[in-house]
Amino acid sequence: MLSRHSPEASAPLSPRGLSVARFLDGGGIWPAVPALVYLLVFMVAPIATLLTFGFVDIDRGTVGEGGFTLSHMVGVLSDPLVWRLTWRSFWIAVVSTSLTLIFAYPVAYAYGHLRGAARTLLLVAVMSPLLTSALVRTYAWIVILGGRRGLVNQTLLTLGLIERPLDILNTSTAVLIGMTQIHLPFMILPLLAVLSERDRSFEQASLNLGASQTVTFFRVTVPMSMPAIVAGFALVFAVSYTNFIVPQLLGGGNYSTIAVQVYEQTIVVLDWSRGAALATLLLSSCFVFVFAIVAAGNWLTRWSEVRR
Amino acid sequence: MSGPRQMISLGDRLARGMLIALTVMSIVLLVAPSLIVIAISFEPRGYIAFPPSGFSLRWYWALLERQQLLDSILVSLRISVMVMVVCLVLGIPAAFAGTRGRFPAKTAFNAFLLAPQMMPGMVIGIASLFFGAYISFRASDLMLVLSLSVFCLPFVVRIVMARLAGLDPLLDEASANLGAGKFETFFRVTLPQLAPAAFAGAAFTFIEAFDNVTVSLFTSDVRARPLPVELYYLVQFESSPLIAAISSLEIGLSLVVMLVIARAVGLERFGR
Repeated sequence: MLSRHSPEASAPLSPRGLSVARFLDGGGIWPAVPALVYLLVFMVAPIATLLTFGFVDIDRGTVGEGGFTLSHMVGVLSDPLVWRLTWRSFWIAVVSTSLTLIFAYPVAYAYGHLRGAARTLLLVAVMSPLLTSALVRTYAWIVILGGRRGLVNQTLLTLGLIERPLDILNTSTAVLIGMTQIHLPFMILPLLAVLSERDRSFEQASLNLGASQTVTFFRVTVPMSMPAIVAGFALVFAVSYTNFIVPQLLGGGNYSTIAVQVYEQTIVVLDWSRGAALATLLLSSCFVFVFAIVAAGNWLTRWSEVRR
Repeated sequence: MSGPRQMISLGDRLARGMLIALTVMSIVLLVAPSLIVIAISFEPRGYIAFPPSGFSLRWYWALLERQQLLDSILVSLRISVMVMVVCLVLGIPAAFAGTRGRFPAKTAFNAFLLAPQMMPGMVIGIASLFFGAYISFRASDLMLVLSLSVFCLPFVVRIVMARLAGLDPLLDEASANLGAGKFETFFRVTLPQLAPAAFAGAAFTFIEAFDNVTVSLFTSDVRARPLPVELYYLVQFESSPLIAAISSLEIGLSLVVMLVIARAVGLERFGR
């Protein structure tokens, strides 16, 4: 394309074109100003509003007379139910994130050893759920797990393994299964990027020195991919912890988590002050947990390095 | 594999078997639910069964008679196109500043540009709802577009930035050596190389906006619900294969988008 220097290609640019180029490629911060302003107005200001609404009385969407009050925050923090649900959200997220890691790591590892069409097919399998709506995938689990005609019950009944249909839908097992599957690509992708480009010489050295493949995998490959594991774990934990669709649809009407509470207070009960206080709790606890995961991950990485 | 052939012990074989078994399970887990939904959508009877008792397009035709659903599809298409435009207009220039700009605190600046990715969709949704109420701005199509654009902006920024950072500087040099000015190089060398990334970013933004529930539930207009919100309510109250039919169409749409992305930048590049 560049080899032929056609007369058309060397025609001078119009002054307008020149100014566009200077604006975009001039090396300044200017091209980002619209995006910055946009985020300040439509992200930062709304989140500031959200954080403020937990500390004032809200009456039908407008700020009430009272001014600053701690009553909503205190109300939320002194409610044992809130703490129970936060605890439940935490455990559901930890268990489902651990499950995604167990399922994701082999896939990412296998990807590095595949070539050609198999490699492409694997990538399509990983990416396709990512582009399918989370709602559609949740619906799929309702169909698979749900009721007497659900796929799981049908199969087990036909095979004669059970006599009565199992109640899987509307339990925490269903929530766990759904969350794990829906968030699986988020875990696979960061691992895949790191594992497929890793330096194989360390593994070869370990094998040459007589270590078995299993030992090499756990003592060399896994520790070397720790940063990606930590990043994936933190990301999947955060999306699991704040997911309210899956618990609502797969957990049934009376299954609640802290994220479900935020939704219900805001949209169903319309108690915006309490909703905002709960959302503040959700957001800050999520940050604390993610921070703890990253810190623990770094500590673990260092520990395994020292031990080596 | 180079190097001396290793003795493979029984333990290693077991471990390898485990690894393969987990990989296969994982792939089944990823793909099977979508395939099951597609199979169910062809059910001729009025309830869900797998495998379906026959083959019919009944539920696809039934879709055409649900005016509310058709309306919501139109709303979603309209919204997604607008979100895509907003994100491209804001995102591409921002990506330029993020990679080629030279100014203090650039790392913090880039982190801020990608920050919406760290925010749960629900938080963006509720925050927009509250802020809108505070400035007396009702949930509407416009509000949905504005809030979804916050959510989707990082997708465009990230993919265009990655492409810009990966451009071969030799091409720019070659262009300069052939006598092109700096800005001619920009228009005839840099921008054309960027087009696939912008295209892929646009496709991904479109599908994210089209599928999004977590933001849309809070900021959409009650009288003109987008498809994901409509589906959210439908899933809870309807048990016919109708939802499977809509879902299959959505799966089809996402496959088309994936093909577009694969042609434009390659799936592998996009995965990061």
